[in-house]
Amino acid sequence: MIYLDNAATSWPKPPAVVRAVRDALTNAAGNPGRTSHHLAMNAAALIQECRENLAQLFGIANPLRVCFTANTTEALNVAIKGVLVPGDHVICSSMEHNSVWRPMTALQEHGVEVSIAEADACGVVDAAKVERLLRRDTKLIAVLHASNVNGAIQPIAEIGRLSREHGIPFLVDAAQSAGVLPIDVEAMCIDLLAFPGHKGLLGPQGTGGLYVSERVDLRPLKEGGTGSDSNSPHQPVYYPDRLESGTLNLPGISGLNEAVRYVLRKTVAQIAHREGVLTQKLLAGLGEIEGVTVYGPPAGLLRAPVVSFTIGDMDPVMIASELERRADIACRPGWHCAGLAHRTQGTQRTGTVRLSPGPFTKVAEIEAALGVVAKLARET
Amino acid sequence: MAHCLAVFSSLNQVALLKRALYREGVYVEMLRTPQRFSAIGCSFAVRCQCTELPLLREACLKWKIEPGGIFEDLEEIASVQDRPLVDDEWEQ
Repeated sequence: MIYLDNAATSWPKPPAVVRAVRDALTNAAGNPGRTSHHLAMNAAALIQECRENLAQLFGIANPLRVCFTANTTEALNVAIKGVLVPGDHVICSSMEHNSVWRPMTALQEHGVEVSIAEADACGVVDAAKVERLLRRDTKLIAVLHASNVNGAIQPIAEIGRLSREHGIPFLVDAAQSAGVLPIDVEAMCIDLLAFPGHKGLLGPQGTGGLYVSERVDLRPLKEGGTGSDSNSPHQPVYYPDRLESGTLNLPGISGLNEAVRYVLRKTVAQIAHREGVLTQKLLAGLGEIEGVTVYGPPAGLLRAPVVSFTIGDMDPVMIASELERRADIACRPGWHCAGLAHRTQGTQRTGTVRLSPGPFTKVAEIEAALGVVAKLARET
Repeated sequence: MAHCLAVFSSLNQVALLKRALYREGVYVEMLRTPQRFSAIGCSFAVRCQCTELPLLREACLKWKIEPGGIFEDLEEIASVQDRPLVDDEWEQ
């Protein structure tokens, strides 16, 4: 198989990740925080190690501010609904995934006002546009780091500085950038960072997290058992317990821990370079095929390893189906759970085909995909 | 040798302290707080030698973790030893 669907979930995983999941189920799958037998204590130590590795990766000073979630969507919901109350104003970009757009739409029905900073033709939002939308009652700025539709990268550090200057919490959706692009929450003035474990970090599905800076306090989305202060009817005020009710996904976090260790060893810079070379090759090749339209930033500009294209009027679902049938190429057609972003780039009627290389993609696989796309384009 | 018991609300806090002290060359044990030391229901504790208490207090300050209580010169707190976990039968 030629796997070009890493933006949905990365594959394959490093073998050490697979072993770590197995090892956790075999040797450390106690329920941390509930008791003190060795399986539970080993589980707690493993989870703490993972927090520390994530903190190192993202430049987070205090690992206890890293809270585990099931995925980025959950992390974003915890952040958005933990900050905003009726009467608040929030700003997001026109490239947001449904995991931001839908919670915001739901909150609009409860008296939260939402302003959308429109992206340019490449899918990039100018920080000045965000600044123009600021109001006295703005309580949150939420922007995705890299588009899952076309790979456009937002000026996160610039928007972060703006947020900090105005004392407004800044939420970044790192679904497509964690482990793919350098992230430093301090340097980028990020107060809330939502990230997946199973995409660029190369961990198992069912893992993700939310970093909450000490400048922000969130109302928990769920309350319940944390294994701490059990006689109190109230949710703990300290992190991560405040946001981590219920048993954590220990096998997943064990795999994620090993995955983050792998990313730290390889370095994000090296991974970004490798994926950048593959992405630029893909863009250059698609650009030479007559009848193919490529979306997002033009070739040569920095972008996440996400490439969206169409072939004339051909249904993207049929293109994906042919890619699989002819060369066992895995990709994703459609709207990528991002209707707002497709509206922004003008593909809301058709959707696109998305190819997303990963750190284990080979140049020959990109060439094979380009060959099949070229054949399809000739046949239409 | 006399031991001290530092009680904390959360196992997450205890796990962080254990790893932080380990990096400093200090081994401490994590354990469930015996009921008579816990006023808040479930909680966890760090058990260490009393001579290591200053380092523990320092780590608490660094990581902004407030102990629920520190009990010194205890002899009777049972030790919880870390031990190998792999059962050969499961390795088959």
